[in-house]
Amino acid sequence: MKDKTQVSDIDRSFYDFRYEENEGDFLDSGLSADIIREISEEKNDPEWMREFRLKSLDIYNRTPMVGWGASIEGLDIDNIVTYIRQKNRMNTDWNAVPEDIKQTFEKLGIPQAERESLAGVGAQYDSELVYHNVREEVAKSGVVYTDLESAMHDPKYADMIHAHFMKLVPPTDHKFAALHGAVWSGGSFVYVPKNVHLDIPLQSYFRLNAKGAGQFEHTLIILEENSSLHFIEGCSAPKYYEAGLHAGCVELYVGKDASLRYSTIENWSKNMYNLNTKRAIVQENGRIEWVSGSFGSHVSYLYPMSILNGRGASAEFTGITFAGEGQDLDTGAKIVHNAPDTSSYMNTKSISKSGGKSTFRSAVTVNENAVGSKSSVNCESLMLDGISRSDTVPAIVVKTDKCDVGHEARIGRISDEAIFYLTSRGISEEEARAMIVRGFADNVSKELPLEYAVEMNNLIGLEMHGSIG
Amino acid sequence: MEKTRYNILPVPTFGKLGVNHAERDTVISETEEYRIESGGDELIIQYNDSDNSSKRTELILDPNAKVRLVRVFDRPEPAVSELKAVIAEGAELELTELYIGGRDTVSGIDVRLDGRRASFKADIAYTLSDEEKLDINLVAEHNGKKSTSEIAVGGVLSDRAAKVFKGTIDFKQGASGAVGSEREEVLLLSENVVNKTVPVILCAEEDVEGNHGATIGRIDERHIFYMKSRGIPEEKIYELTARSRLMRVIKQIESSETQKQIFEALGWGDDDEQ
Repeated sequence: MKDKTQVSDIDRSFYDFRYEENEGDFLDSGLSADIIREISEEKNDPEWMREFRLKSLDIYNRTPMVGWGASIEGLDIDNIVTYIRQKNRMNTDWNAVPEDIKQTFEKLGIPQAERESLAGVGAQYDSELVYHNVREEVAKSGVVYTDLESAMHDPKYADMIHAHFMKLVPPTDHKFAALHGAVWSGGSFVYVPKNVHLDIPLQSYFRLNAKGAGQFEHTLIILEENSSLHFIEGCSAPKYYEAGLHAGCVELYVGKDASLRYSTIENWSKNMYNLNTKRAIVQENGRIEWVSGSFGSHVSYLYPMSILNGRGASAEFTGITFAGEGQDLDTGAKIVHNAPDTSSYMNTKSISKSGGKSTFRSAVTVNENAVGSKSSVNCESLMLDGISRSDTVPAIVVKTDKCDVGHEARIGRISDEAIFYLTSRGISEEEARAMIVRGFADNVSKELPLEYAVEMNNLIGLEMHGSIG
Repeated sequence: MEKTRYNILPVPTFGKLGVNHAERDTVISETEEYRIESGGDELIIQYNDSDNSSKRTELILDPNAKVRLVRVFDRPEPAVSELKAVIAEGAELELTELYIGGRDTVSGIDVRLDGRRASFKADIAYTLSDEEKLDINLVAEHNGKKSTSEIAVGGVLSDRAAKVFKGTIDFKQGASGAVGSEREEVLLLSENVVNKTVPVILCAEEDVEGNHGATIGRIDERHIFYMKSRGIPEEKIYELTARSRLMRVIKQIESSETQKQIFEALGWGDDDEQ
């Protein structure tokens, strides 16, 4: 019998190392006002934040679960540890980071990437940032890249954070936004002043090491007029049999004529529920570009949203999702055209195999005031076997006649015609299939920074072997 | 009165978009059933005007049966319509639908392609003005191997009209070789219209081909420039384009009597229909 061409699942062994935790550092699992107060105490929150957390808990308790999307029945919040105490203070000296944590990030290549190609790096381990550093010349230009907690206590930024924190994603947005508001910890604050352009990226890496825990980091980025930034985030966790939860929140404020590129490679282990919320608001002639690779987690809900709020603002979303065995990845994007002459472009690819399920879900809304706006959505899905599933659920809402909105979607398998064409030119059938699958993902990988494109290729692990069947 | 949920999207999505279902207090009071036996070939024309109440139509197509179903909705009052069809091996259903206004029309079309090489072709057009509302939910469920569906929808919205079109192609496991396509073109003629389009593909089978597309907006500026340069005023260009979207469907209707009824409903004179 012929062996059917195989495209392997993502090889996660590289990410599955872990270190034992001292459970004395864990707060009790579950959610209660006492736990929230304890988190506030541990973090020395200002008074407004203490109140904000408790109010968010109240919203969480009365907000129903979403009535659509992947099943999250296996997630019991009462079994999730929402906060793990910091072992050491956050460092700007890599050598001062605790040895086990240092080894974790050394294995993931973070310090090496910092030395070679980044303007600054932040590393979060469980609930808290353990390392944050920014190059001297970048700091001199006025760019701030630090952990959110430090910035919140700095008189220079305290008001700015109070004015922006969870204003784009309010706790009332959905149940897990409320949860985030109650228990958030860690994450980054980035401020880029007017007319400052960062040519090399900043990167934050989030690592959840503890078993049965949640990570709730908050990323707040503010770009002033005519500034630019490329921000990269990476996420991973070792595999456990208990469910883990990631309910982070990203809020991006892109000023007039400013430009922000936000790249993510998400590779949580397959016990993780990734219920993340990302949102950007873009002012006049500003631009937001999202590049998103979703490979890990058991269940994902991830739809970065762009609100185009100033005339001529634009958004571009490029995403790839690879759903393998045991994964239900519900991903996509949302775009709101809320000013004249705005434009958006969405280009996504999904691959499903070994019983995995990928869902592309999107919403493009063109409001009454968005006259002269243009939007184009393109999504393609590839099924690699007959036991997997791939769904496409886009929605378009248009409230003005003076706009142009287009949508194209395609689903299928590797076409026999393409194989025939390539084999007629002397390429073996096996190689032809490999080329087509790689080419399918290539549109997205070429949008990633080089080191991340290499990581993505490693992640996909496109191994073609055996004869063709 | 308790409301009933109609037009339920097979896979619900973001609740804030208001597309997951249509809740109405209208009740379906009448069901028409048709069974077309093997080898049969029938033309069914339903002209739903103000005399008809909300109605359900059920069609069973036995192997190799052929049906052309023409449905015209020319009802000013709120109404709910449901069409359910089951298509057996080698059978073909061709559906032509035209929606002329209507204060609040909800139309559900649920087609199961159960047999091998079962075929479904739909050509749907609508024109809405004033504060008219239309909600269409079309589901083509592919169970049969090599079954095909081809769905074309086009329409014109003006004034404060609001329309929802949800089109789902659902490839079930085992429907190998199935092909489904869906396209909607919406022409918007007023700044106060609301258009919602939800083209869904659900896929549990590897060996299928599915695609959908949608184009929503105004007339292409190059098209307007071309016609203006030939002396046609802009107002007329919009009118002609809107008519052409409807004529694409009207000309498919075999009955000249039905066509005449449609032209009267649209307020088109004899010269216009030429």
